[in-house]
Amino acid sequence: MGVKTLQSKMGKHILELYVNGSSLTSVEAIETLQNICEEHLHGNCEVEIVDVLKNPERAEEAGILAIPTLIRKWPLPESRIIGALTIKSRVLAGLGITNGNTH
Amino acid sequence: MNIEKLPTGIEAFDHISDGGLPLGRTTLIAGSSGSAKTLFGAQFLAMGIMLFDQSGVFVTFEEQVDDIRKNLRSFNWDIDTWEKEGKWVFVDGSPKEEDSITVGDYDLSAFRIRLEHAINKIKAQRVVIDSIGSVFTQFPDMHTIRRELFKVAMTLRRLHATSIITAERTEEYGEISRFGVEEFLADNVIILRNVLNKEKRRRTIEILKFRGSNHIKGENPFTIIPDKAIVIIPLSAMELKQRSSHVRVTSGVPKLDDMCGGGFYRDSIILVSGATGAGKTLLVANFINGIREKGERCLLMAFEESREQLFRNAKGWGQDFEKLEEDGYLKVVCIYPEVSSLEDHFINIQEIVKSFKPDRIAIDSLSALTRTSSEKGFREFIIALTSFLKHEEITGMFTATTPLLTGGASVTEGNISTITDTIILLRYVEVYGEMQRAISVLKMRGSKHDAAIRQFTIDSQGMNIGEPFNGVSGILTGNPVVVKQNN
Repeated sequence: MGVKTLQSKMGKHILELYVNGSSLTSVEAIETLQNICEEHLHGNCEVEIVDVLKNPERAEEAGILAIPTLIRKWPLPESRIIGALTIKSRVLAGLGITNGNTH
Repeated sequence: MNIEKLPTGIEAFDHISDGGLPLGRTTLIAGSSGSAKTLFGAQFLAMGIMLFDQSGVFVTFEEQVDDIRKNLRSFNWDIDTWEKEGKWVFVDGSPKEEDSITVGDYDLSAFRIRLEHAINKIKAQRVVIDSIGSVFTQFPDMHTIRRELFKVAMTLRRLHATSIITAERTEEYGEISRFGVEEFLADNVIILRNVLNKEKRRRTIEILKFRGSNHIKGENPFTIIPDKAIVIIPLSAMELKQRSSHVRVTSGVPKLDDMCGGGFYRDSIILVSGATGAGKTLLVANFINGIREKGERCLLMAFEESREQLFRNAKGWGQDFEKLEEDGYLKVVCIYPEVSSLEDHFINIQEIVKSFKPDRIAIDSLSALTRTSSEKGFREFIIALTSFLKHEEITGMFTATTPLLTGGASVTEGNISTITDTIILLRYVEVYGEMQRAISVLKMRGSKHDAAIRQFTIDSQGMNIGEPFNGVSGILTGNPVVVKQNN
C-alpha cells in the first residue's frame, strides 16, 4: 500500500487509450488526451495508446467494445470513458481532475 | 434457388429447417426471456464441435462467461477441453463492474476487430452473439448501435461464418424483436416461445423465414432435457417420409382379424375406445399376445395401471407377461402421466423404442395423458407420435376411455380419430335387462371390414367374439332398442 499511496500523493495518472488506427474519433481522442496531460496534469501522467487493429488481444483482455475507450488505471478505482472525448470539461470530471490540479 | 444449409446437429431442427441454418448467413433468433435462446446458441456450437469438428465463437453481451461455462457443464458439454483445444472461444462483452461514462462519438470497431480476430484464430465456422438487447443496454445510443450491428452482420458475412444473433421479445405474439434489428437481419428469423396456457408451459420453435430456402412452417414443440439440451418434436417433417405397408399382423384375436379383413396393417395406428372395464386392456393383452405368431417384440406403455395389476389381469386371461418379458419379447413401462410433460413423455417413448426396437407398441391409456397437457399440445403429441411410429413401421394400439359407461365420445377420440387408421369400439349394451359387451370395427383405413356390431364375452382364455347383435339398434349411441324381426 505504501508505494501506491505515494503514487497517489504524487498524483500520477496512468491512462490507457484504446484506438482504431487513425479513425476520426481516435485522432480526436488522442489530441484531447495529450492536451489534458500537458495542460492539466503538467506531464505528470503515463499514457499508453493501444491500437486494437494491431493488438486485438489487448482489447480482448481489457474487454473493450467501443472505440475510443479511455481507461484510468490509476488512481483507483479504475474507470472508463467511452467516446471521442469531445467535451474536455466532462473528460476532466470523469478522470477526477479539478481545474489544473490533481487530487 | 435454394440456399446451402449447414446441419446444426440439433435433433430434429435440421428436419424442420430442411437441412440446418443457411450456410455463411446470419440467423436472428428472437424470443422472450427464458425462451432458451442462449441454450439454442450454445447447443449450435457444442453440436458443431461434437458432431462435425467445427469450431465456434460465442459472444456474450449479457451473461458472465463463467456462468455460461457452468451451464454448459450441466449438459455434460466439455467446455474446458474445448477451450483448451481452441475449438470454442468466448468473446466477452458482458457488462463490467467499472463505472463508465460517454463523452463524444464512438463506434464498436474494437468489438468487430475482436470478433474477427477470434474467428480467424480458431478458423470458426459457427458464431453466436447473445444478445442484441444487452448491447443496447450497455450503449444507449440506439442509432449508433444499429449502424454498428449492421457492420457486425457484414463482417460475419465476409468471413462466411454461419451465425446466430439472439434478440429479446417482450411478448410471445407481436413484433419480432424490441429493437427493430430484423430490418437488417431479416433474411432468416427463428422464433422461440415459452407460452403459459391453462397452467401448462409449452415451448415451441418456429422458423419464421429463411429467405430463398425451404423450411417447415408453423410452430413445433420442443423440450429441454438434461443430457440432450433442446429436443424439438417435429410435427410434420416426419410425415413426409411415411410409407404405407400392406403387410398384415394379427390382433391376437383370430375373430377380430377376420373382422378387420385379415388383421391390422403393420404400420397402422389402432384406437380402441370404450368405457372403463369395457375390455380395452384385454384387447391390449391380446394384441401383445399376437407377437407370438411371428416372434415380434412389443412395448407396453402403461399410464393407468401398475405392473402388478397388469400382470395379474393378464394371468386371468391366460397370458404370462412375466415370461414374455423375461424372454425379451415384451417390455412393460409403467409411468404416472403427471411425472413429466407430454413432450418429455414423447422423447422418453422415442428413446425406449430406439433401444428396445419393438414391432408393436401399446399405450394404455391415451386418455390418462390428456391430463398433463392442453388440447393443442395433446394433438401435437399424437401427431408426432403416430408419425414417428409409422416411420419406424411399428404397429400401435392406443386406448381411449369414454366418459360414459354406455359410450359417447371422449376428448381423446375427438382429437385423434382422424389420425388413426383403425378404430375399434367396445361398448356395454343393455338387452332385455342384461349387460352385454359389444365390439365393432368402426373404421379400417384401406381395407374391407366387418360392419357388424358383435357380442363378446371374456373368460379365462381372453376375448371370445360371437355373433352380431341382430335386431338391436342404437348400440353406439348408448340407447339400444330391440327391433322386431320378421321371422
